[in-house]
Amino acid sequence: MRHLSRLVAVTAVLSLTAPAFAEGLEIVDANVKLLEAGDTVAVSKIPDGIYLRSTNDPDDVIWERLPEYRVHVGPAPAVHESVDLRVDYDDEGQYVFLTFARTAERFYVRMRWRDETADTVTRSNRFRDAVAVQFSLGDDETSYVMGDGPDAPVNIWYWRSDKGDIQSLAAGGPGSTTTLDDQPVSGDAMYLDKRGNDANEWTVVMSREISTEGDYQVSFEQDIVPMAFALWQGANDERDGLKRVSDGWILVDLSGG
Amino acid sequence: MAVKRQLSMVMDLNKCIGCHTCTSACKLQWTNRNGREYMYWNNVETMPGTGYPKNYADMGGGFDGDGALRLGTEPAPEDYGVPWEYNYEEALMTGTDPWLRPNVKPTWGANWDEDEGEGDYPNSYYFYLPRLCNHCENPACLAACSRNAIYKRQEDGIVLIDQERCRGYRYCVSACPYKKVYFNEEISKSEKCIFCYPRIEKGLPTACAKQCVGRIRWIGYRDDEAGPIHQLVEKYKVALPLHPEWGTKPNVFYVPPMSPPKIDGSGGATAESRVPMEYLESLFGNGVKAALDTLAAERVKKAGGGDSELMDTLIGYRHAEMFKLS
Repeated sequence: MRHLSRLVAVTAVLSLTAPAFAEGLEIVDANVKLLEAGDTVAVSKIPDGIYLRSTNDPDDVIWERLPEYRVHVGPAPAVHESVDLRVDYDDEGQYVFLTFARTAERFYVRMRWRDETADTVTRSNRFRDAVAVQFSLGDDETSYVMGDGPDAPVNIWYWRSDKGDIQSLAAGGPGSTTTLDDQPVSGDAMYLDKRGNDANEWTVVMSREISTEGDYQVSFEQDIVPMAFALWQGANDERDGLKRVSDGWILVDLSGG
Repeated sequence: MAVKRQLSMVMDLNKCIGCHTCTSACKLQWTNRNGREYMYWNNVETMPGTGYPKNYADMGGGFDGDGALRLGTEPAPEDYGVPWEYNYEEALMTGTDPWLRPNVKPTWGANWDEDEGEGDYPNSYYFYLPRLCNHCENPACLAACSRNAIYKRQEDGIVLIDQERCRGYRYCVSACPYKKVYFNEEISKSEKCIFCYPRIEKGLPTACAKQCVGRIRWIGYRDDEAGPIHQLVEKYKVALPLHPEWGTKPNVFYVPPMSPPKIDGSGGATAESRVPMEYLESLFGNGVKAALDTLAAERVKKAGGGDSELMDTLIGYRHAEMFKLS
């Protein structure tokens, strides 16, 4: 069991099964397997007949029954002068906690991360929180920084806190992000304000049907899908390449599902 | 950035009466709706003054001496001024509100410091400075865009934001040292002066220039040696860019304001200019003195009944001839 304080706060049922309340987040974090570039992780199968309360419920009890992993995200390497002027390479980054799941019909990824402030507007001089997962449309030789040109593209699912929806994007290198004609990805988000007891956090679930049509939409009808992760903290004026990213590809194994 | 041709504008600050007709023309044409209400693609500032947005000249951007982008800041809504509306319907039509009043408390806006200027009587001074996008030869906004969403048209050098490519990152807003790129919150994209390109393409001058009652604006191509821009910028060198030290190479030029003399304690004229030369040079660079000397000499020539090509151009006898768009 992980992130116990959240469990205690939001689900009475699980609080009964939870072990003693963990004092510090670091101890809790340490129990979550850290994924590093090149690691393979198996997707969890949600059994037939088990459904989330809503398609992308970020707070569903199902998530507590599935293995959670974490990946470190740190400052993305600057690929443009505007980013280079602003990036802070001394930033230690943070962890994103991940759950990969599938049913017979859908693929899910759930992410939660600490964020002291919910930045949910895009206004003059204000930037929004956001998170993205990136899929290589080829193998893990493609650059994890937005792909390697038009012949080695990536598919990106981008959640933005101001609108709440998930955009399915394609890119073939930095600066080439393009909104795709087909938008088959859905999602939902939840912000937990722990009111001083613990770190505040976002939880976002994104999902898509296993089979889909349309160019540049990642296929889940293959065994291994390389995935990478990015996080934007609106309070730090993060947007574009000013973001925290996972260092390299995590290989998600869909075959066991 | 080399383009085939470059459209430019010259404004004679000696003729600007600060009537804001240019601003109104621009606003009615482009920015009175759809999230642009707070924007003034064209505005008229009183100088010395804070400018628009407030203290924009201190917000960085542009290029350093080595040609590298300088970090700039994005103005806050309060720096522009939050636009307000009046309850015309309730106060004037239905009579349900006895007072005509704004819907937000006005605390700042473009031109808030109109006519304040500097100095003490009898040596107080100010002049007007209309500003729009400079459609720079080396646009900082373009250099700052990580998505190549900003481009400079080959046929006329107009700088535009491709609204399909813009994702609202706003590097351009902070990179423009003139703060002439604006963020539209309704569509989460940046927008700016388009030099009225739909009008230009029909052979018409920009709205701001066409409506200018003081006839202070000329429009033409830099390479047209018979045209007004070449004459004012290259031949007589009386039209200068604003803040050339910011490194963007503007294509909007200003004829600097001539000035009456300073008055001494006994009421007599001194040899010193009322508007300090150092101040004008801080705005328009070190060509100011030569430009003002040329203007003074040509004016004397014309006043004495002689011929002055420069004065004839600056007078602008026929408005239509101030625009040479082919």
